[in-house]
Amino acid sequence: MALVHKLLNGTCILRKCPKPSVALYPFLGTRFADYCSSSLQKPAAVPGKASSQRKTEGDLQGHHQRDVALDITCPEEKPEVSFDKAIKDELKNHFWRLKDDIVNRWIGPEGRPLHEVLLEQARVVWKFRGKEDLDKWIVTSDKTIGGRSEAFLKMGKNNQSALLYGTLSSDTPQDGESSRSGYCAMISRIPRGPFERKRSYDWSQFNTLYLRVRGDGRPWMVNIREDTDIIQRKNQIYSYFMFTRGGPYWQDVKKKLYLYVFVRVYLKYKFLKVKLIPFSKFFFSNQGRIRDAQYQLLLDKISSIGFTLADKVDGPFFLEIDFIGVFTDPAHTEEFAYENSPELNPRLFK
Amino acid sequence: MNPLILTIILMTVFLGTMIVMASSHWLMIWIGFEMNLLAIIPILMKKYNPRAMEASTKYFLTQATASMLLMMAIIINLMHSGQWTITKVFNPTASIIMTLALAMKLGLTPFHFWVPEVTQGISLTSGLILLTWQKLAPMSILYQISPSINLNILLTMAVLSILVGGWGGLNQTQLRKIMAYSSIAHMGWMTAILVYNPTLTMLNMLIYIMMTLTMFMLFIHSSSTTTLSLSHTWNKAPLITTLILITLLSMGGLPPLSGFMPKWMIIQELTKNSSIILPTLMAIMALLNLYFYTRLTYSTSLTMFPSTNNMKMKWQFETKQITLLPPLIIASSLLLPLTPMLSILD
Repeated sequence: MALVHKLLNGTCILRKCPKPSVALYPFLGTRFADYCSSSLQKPAAVPGKASSQRKTEGDLQGHHQRDVALDITCPEEKPEVSFDKAIKDELKNHFWRLKDDIVNRWIGPEGRPLHEVLLEQARVVWKFRGKEDLDKWIVTSDKTIGGRSEAFLKMGKNNQSALLYGTLSSDTPQDGESSRSGYCAMISRIPRGPFERKRSYDWSQFNTLYLRVRGDGRPWMVNIREDTDIIQRKNQIYSYFMFTRGGPYWQDVKKKLYLYVFVRVYLKYKFLKVKLIPFSKFFFSNQGRIRDAQYQLLLDKISSIGFTLADKVDGPFFLEIDFIGVFTDPAHTEEFAYENSPELNPRLFK
Repeated sequence: MNPLILTIILMTVFLGTMIVMASSHWLMIWIGFEMNLLAIIPILMKKYNPRAMEASTKYFLTQATASMLLMMAIIINLMHSGQWTITKVFNPTASIIMTLALAMKLGLTPFHFWVPEVTQGISLTSGLILLTWQKLAPMSILYQISPSINLNILLTMAVLSILVGGWGGLNQTQLRKIMAYSSIAHMGWMTAILVYNPTLTMLNMLIYIMMTLTMFMLFIHSSSTTTLSLSHTWNKAPLITTLILITLLSMGGLPPLSGFMPKWMIIQELTKNSSIILPTLMAIMALLNLYFYTRLTYSTSLTMFPSTNNMKMKWQFETKQITLLPPLIIASSLLLPLTPMLSILD
């Protein structure tokens, strides 16, 4: 009996369909089976309901079923237990991506024809329209070093934006070595190719970062990491500030874009602000310290982008992001905003 | 960089290669390689930024490993032959290890991974020196040990290099990476004919150096490192676009330009040695190279690529003086009729 149940459950997992509803009719009654195959709204209630149902049965078979029925939860909730299948799926997925990679190579850079890539003047790199878009980001806070800030990421209203929210707390962890604390960050995952090969973004034909965000007045920091193979460069970051403006004031959308027209009529007071940050303004820092020797951000191998909040103001925060893109601003001709001087870094002037 | 220091470093690079090419003692050859390597590192890091540092680190690590392998091969040869003079390397182990070490120095497949990464990370002038001058020393040693090289290994590496050079350059938009993959492919052609007729290797090397020099000079003139910036040269210097067209097609091996000469000679020599499938495969894979060269010419020379108004006048501090561009253009495009004079290379 238990074996039959387990077999049924096994097939249910593999096929991911509400099979037990039909199969369980003879054993457990229609109500439980229907409940099991229904939506996931109250998963916690299922075992309780099952036990109350089963208590009415009252025979040895029912007792057996009680032990077995506790394993039965809604089919969609149960984790995958088939190891072989998982490995096969993973391999198939990777080979499929490898095949796509090879075929795309014939078409052109990044799988599109060359003239299309060269003529492109704006590109949306990350947008938030569903849960799978949130998986491309990692949210972290100073909890990793023992602090008390919290940060969460969820989809915003109508799945049109992502909301990064939480509480910042600059209470230092009492571990004897940290003197400062209080940061929250949202960092994009490094793009991966087939077989988890590290990839990078090539933004060399663009010169401005385009962000459509709505904040709460807090100053955020935008950090960009370059793709690198050597470990000594893992803490090198190029950063710039993003000052958000919240509050109950009407704000004008600053610039109209060439390809994307943003006309959003809001009846409420806050609305999304467009942030344009030229790449020439990003300054170089290593291990959190801004270096005297400044280098230009080279755009041909970008690994990840991140937003950090560390403004030493305790309290709640939120940042709503619609999308993140890059575009070419033809009016922006600056290549690098910072100079190196012989006083600050004589090594470069020997 | 201080001009005196730069002169000393460049002289050391030059001296290192000359020591390699002129020595008959294996230890001196190794010393020459090391001098060359140590002196080229500041040249690679001339425009100092973290990317250049990473490129120099990668170059140093691969070349030092290759030098170590070379030293091991030298010592095995010493053990078996009892002398340090360069002659035919009789011991097969020493010969194979030496071939692999020199392949690593040249950037032949499967040791080619450093070439695009290093070339992309450094400035155009340093890339020029890397892809032209640095190939002379290992190629001269391969020339000298050519009678004893294992044919199977060398031909496999050559064919794979031509394939990887063509395939890898296919969807690049960065010009330095395109030149790096072109270098890998040309090294493949050079090493394929090494065992049969080393003279043709030298011919191919000369023509390749002239063409690569020309290409880099043209890139330096227009200060362009991406296909997009190169496609705007029609605004600034239309004559340069014509020269780019001619040089790229010459690199692709199209007759009646110079670049056709080495390919023709190599295919002829291989067929004389009863090898039919190999040159056919090589010629077909050279089409991949030709494809991405012609794609570059399409956006640069054959079309007036759209650009916004302020890109038309790209300002520069001073007009760039290009050394020896006219003779280089002539040499990289019009030398085909001089083919009967090949005998001077013997």
